[in-house]
Amino acid sequence: MDKKYGVYICTGCGIGEALDIEALKGVAEEEGLPVQVHETFCSPAGVDVLKKDIKDKGINTLVLAACSRRVMFDVFRFDGCIVDRVNLREGVVWSHPRSQFPVLAEDEKDDGVHFDRVQMMAEDYLRMGMARVEKVSLPEPFKLDTLSRRILVIGGGLTGISAAIDAAKAGYEVTLVEKAGALGGHAATWRKQLPLGWPYAATTAPMLQDKIRELESHSGISVRLNTLVARIAGQPGEFTVTFKKPGEKTEFDVPFPLPDDMKVDANGKELDVETLRAAYLKFNEGRKDILTLDPNGEKFGAVILAAGWRPYKPTTDEFAHLGFGALPDVVTNAQFETMAKAGKITCPSDGRAAKSVVFIQSPGKGDDADFDYAGSVTSLVALKQATYVREDYPEDGKAFVFYQHMRTPGLQENFYKSIQQDTGIFLTKGEVVSVSPNGRGLVVTADNTLLGERVQVKADLVVLATGMVPATKDDPVVNLAYRQGPAFRDIGLFKGYCDSNFICFPYETQRTGIYAAGAVRRSMTVEECIEDASGAALKAIQCLESTNRGCAVHPRSGDLTYPDFFFQRCTQCKRCTEECPFGALDDDERGTPKPNPTRCRRCGTCMGACPERIIGFADYNIDSIGSMVKAVKVPSADDYEEPPMRILGLVCENDAYPTLDIAGLNRLSYSADVRLIPVRCLGSVNVIWIKDALSQGMDGVFLLGCKHGDDYQCHFVKGSELASIRMKKIGEALSSLALETERVAQFEVAIDEFDKVPSIINTFVESVEALGPNPFKGF
Amino acid sequence: MAEAIMLDPDVGFIKEVGKLGGGDLKKCYQCATCSVVCPISPENKPFPRKEMIAASWGLKDKVLASQDIWLCHNCGDCTTRCPRGAKPGDVLGAIRAYAVADYAGFKKLGLMVRDPKKLPLLLAIPAVIFLVAGFLSNLVGLNWLNFAPQGGHALWQADYLNNYLVDIIMIPTFFFAVGVFALGLKRFVAAMHANALAEGKSHRQKIDPAGMIQALIRIVPTIIKHQKFNECTENRERSTAHMLVLFSFVGLFIVTNCFFFAEWVLHIEGPYSQFNPVKWLGNIAGIALVVGSLLMIKNRLAKKTSVSSYWDWYLVWLVFALGLTGMLTQVLRLGGLYGLSAVVYFAHIIAIWCLFAYTPFSKLAHLIYRTTAMAYAEYSGRGFK
Repeated sequence: MDKKYGVYICTGCGIGEALDIEALKGVAEEEGLPVQVHETFCSPAGVDVLKKDIKDKGINTLVLAACSRRVMFDVFRFDGCIVDRVNLREGVVWSHPRSQFPVLAEDEKDDGVHFDRVQMMAEDYLRMGMARVEKVSLPEPFKLDTLSRRILVIGGGLTGISAAIDAAKAGYEVTLVEKAGALGGHAATWRKQLPLGWPYAATTAPMLQDKIRELESHSGISVRLNTLVARIAGQPGEFTVTFKKPGEKTEFDVPFPLPDDMKVDANGKELDVETLRAAYLKFNEGRKDILTLDPNGEKFGAVILAAGWRPYKPTTDEFAHLGFGALPDVVTNAQFETMAKAGKITCPSDGRAAKSVVFIQSPGKGDDADFDYAGSVTSLVALKQATYVREDYPEDGKAFVFYQHMRTPGLQENFYKSIQQDTGIFLTKGEVVSVSPNGRGLVVTADNTLLGERVQVKADLVVLATGMVPATKDDPVVNLAYRQGPAFRDIGLFKGYCDSNFICFPYETQRTGIYAAGAVRRSMTVEECIEDASGAALKAIQCLESTNRGCAVHPRSGDLTYPDFFFQRCTQCKRCTEECPFGALDDDERGTPKPNPTRCRRCGTCMGACPERIIGFADYNIDSIGSMVKAVKVPSADDYEEPPMRILGLVCENDAYPTLDIAGLNRLSYSADVRLIPVRCLGSVNVIWIKDALSQGMDGVFLLGCKHGDDYQCHFVKGSELASIRMKKIGEALSSLALETERVAQFEVAIDEFDKVPSIINTFVESVEALGPNPFKGF
Repeated sequence: MAEAIMLDPDVGFIKEVGKLGGGDLKKCYQCATCSVVCPISPENKPFPRKEMIAASWGLKDKVLASQDIWLCHNCGDCTTRCPRGAKPGDVLGAIRAYAVADYAGFKKLGLMVRDPKKLPLLLAIPAVIFLVAGFLSNLVGLNWLNFAPQGGHALWQADYLNNYLVDIIMIPTFFFAVGVFALGLKRFVAAMHANALAEGKSHRQKIDPAGMIQALIRIVPTIIKHQKFNECTENRERSTAHMLVLFSFVGLFIVTNCFFFAEWVLHIEGPYSQFNPVKWLGNIAGIALVVGSLLMIKNRLAKKTSVSSYWDWYLVWLVFALGLTGMLTQVLRLGGLYGLSAVVYFAHIIAIWCLFAYTPFSKLAHLIYRTTAMAYAEYSGRGFK
């Protein structure tokens, strides 16, 4: 497109009072660009000015110097036009009030000593905006040739059945596969279910059969029993899925990556590329490469993973102090449920009535953690199972629950309340220290209970509240034909659960187009599973429809850009393939990445990783950000006696940039010597930008992004973590240039820490000032 | 590590506490708001959180042996603040009701006093005793029971029901009550001391009587001034009524002893002159008793947040009846309605007998147990002045 530029400066919201608008206009005019000024561009009259320019003058590339791009985005959206929002309001005048950054007196102007930091800041931002629009283009959506709208549901338990029904109700064709010979999963093995609706006071009869009947009434759902997924190849909208029978071996069984111990030789030295390749092929003999599509495979657009759970199996002696394994009358909650389903509760040892049953919620041993893979559901199940004791022995049955945590979320609190009222059910917090034989029965000893320091209870039967292990812990299940491997990438935080972020992005796994629901995400009740199924079904539909429009699904919903590769310069280093948090890239045998745009979430991690800088997006690329960096005027000793520092901040637009906007909104000020550029994710930061900044004389660079680690907040899972690894490496490069490594830093900030962010910035600026100016300044 | 305590829940106890006004006991979820808001709970092992869980686990012996159930003055601050509506104040009241019968012995009688259906029988007992004794006295020519006394002078109730007859029955009844209390107190103190040692609520390994008496003397001002009641926010107005009733009982006790002395030692026959200062005290105390018990009834009726069980009502109505019949007897006599006065007097005698005989089994037993528990808490270093 032929760009026709227009620069628009808004003077509303205090901008006009704080800045020298004439001088600002001069910045654009210097470049020969037409400038318009208006007191409120967001008003109907202001928008009319813009629309009139677009219509009459053919302006299609607008630089709008006004408020943050996070506000008024719908007001300033013009089809077919590139719009850059220069953030003068939150980023300059609100966060740098004239009371703290006074304007120059008449005699101070152009004296070679004094300068107006805030005006300099506004002018730089305007230059940066103008530089950016020169380098970006309008995105053209990536569209698949053929798009399948079929949804595959893996798992025929209550979650899978519910998800299939929900997707079918929305008009989508669904195939549900179940590895067993019958539908129902675990729900078919229970005596009673937890309450499913108001008043949440009592257990209910199992409702599985009703759900199965509902499933069968939908013509759009086909069910395949005794079926596994051998592989899922391709990308959302056009997955090619190969099915197989349990135990069957096919050439389309998915290849597995080499285990780590096979990647090294006998001396522990890493094998060379050729040997690795040979070892990989040998390891996966008889299996087709991931890039070979099964000609008989079936096409699906999106996948719902409802593979469910299995009961935790304690290892030998794992709970020896609780007698598990040695004492036959110590069982897990899953075993107890099976016993309860079969009939009256009796002791496995001698078949006598179990009238005193102790439920243990935490294994003890010094900490208060519950059993692995437990959760609120194991609390609720203990309460449910306590009612079995009372049902079977209403006269003299007693159920005791020793817990460290009694979790009954939401209205399930009513269930807890009703259980409390039963005179035969006894609850206390406490740490169970031992279960030991006592004549024919057992005696349970607990410390630190609500009843006293050390108490004992006689029991006929002891039940351990062991957890629900997600199916994905044992087996990839989805068997993705992805170069990063067939399973969801294990980021070491979720113990085999397959979310990408529990809180922010439920249902979304780290593989676009695959949505998890039910116990595969965390231990859940039936009620939660059914709700989860709806969520995952909606996500799958969102994926299909977004893919159909050629835009990103999430979290950058609606983004029409996608990464573009300049393959001629690719060195097959594989960094992009390996670092992509979502496994979007599959390299071929030479190592050249094969993009799968509909798998991509547009975070730009590949762009940040690429040492050759051949990856970019239409509106966000190495050149567009690099040009913004270069557009910053770096004053030197030639300009002023004591020139101000120039410090670049590359700021994650998901959390950190909003935080800065909020700081501005709250009139919290920070140094006016920083120049901030929003980036899609710190993972997308290419070190060349940092080098550019330093080589043109900027004194320091900081990255501001999300927290990483156990409670990471990165929208793209690994971005800020990858950035911190890259920052360590750049430190070495800096020292080789005789630049202090302290000139580059990375900071973490949460979206609600707007009160902290000014001091983060100011502290860094002060530390750079202490180092003195960049020695390369002025070269 | 402390020695493990074997827990064996007594479901019957839980149900009984429920019937006695602690029906919301099992709603407790152990947040301890009650112990925090309680203005009078000691800092060391505060109540009533631990009593709530022990009761909901049916740990009868542990709960009944606790001094804390008596330290509680049922001011209701905990009940108002309880986020779950478990009404700890009422639960402790119910536990006390259960405890009184448990300490006292004579289990059957204890259960009867707690049971509204047995009230007619309980009232009939003294009526029968007095009538039978009266007839017997008439048979042997003492003529202590006279339905139509004659005389030139104004009649009074003793002409119908002789004072000797009344005293001969009342004195053993009084000592029966004292005996029951003594045995109950012995059981209670032993259990309370063992419990305090086990739960770390006492600094003293042994109970030294002199120390206990000193502690008792230290807490007397607290009781007289109703200091604990006044620390409550929820139910402070109760303090006035309780004080009126307590002091009127003290006054009436003095008056009764004076006239007993006059009758048996000095052989001065009544009715005594209205100018007699002892008579003044008697009249003031009688009025205070009526007013105080009426206030109690009014307060209980107005208080919707806490439970008033039969156990509570029995005592306040009995006290009210006692005061009312006493005053009425005198008023009717002064008004010359001698026959009617005698009938009311008979009711008055029945009320007094009930008060004496059933006190160790009724709510009034708190007079002994609470005082003892407060003295023990003070003695054992937990502090309850």
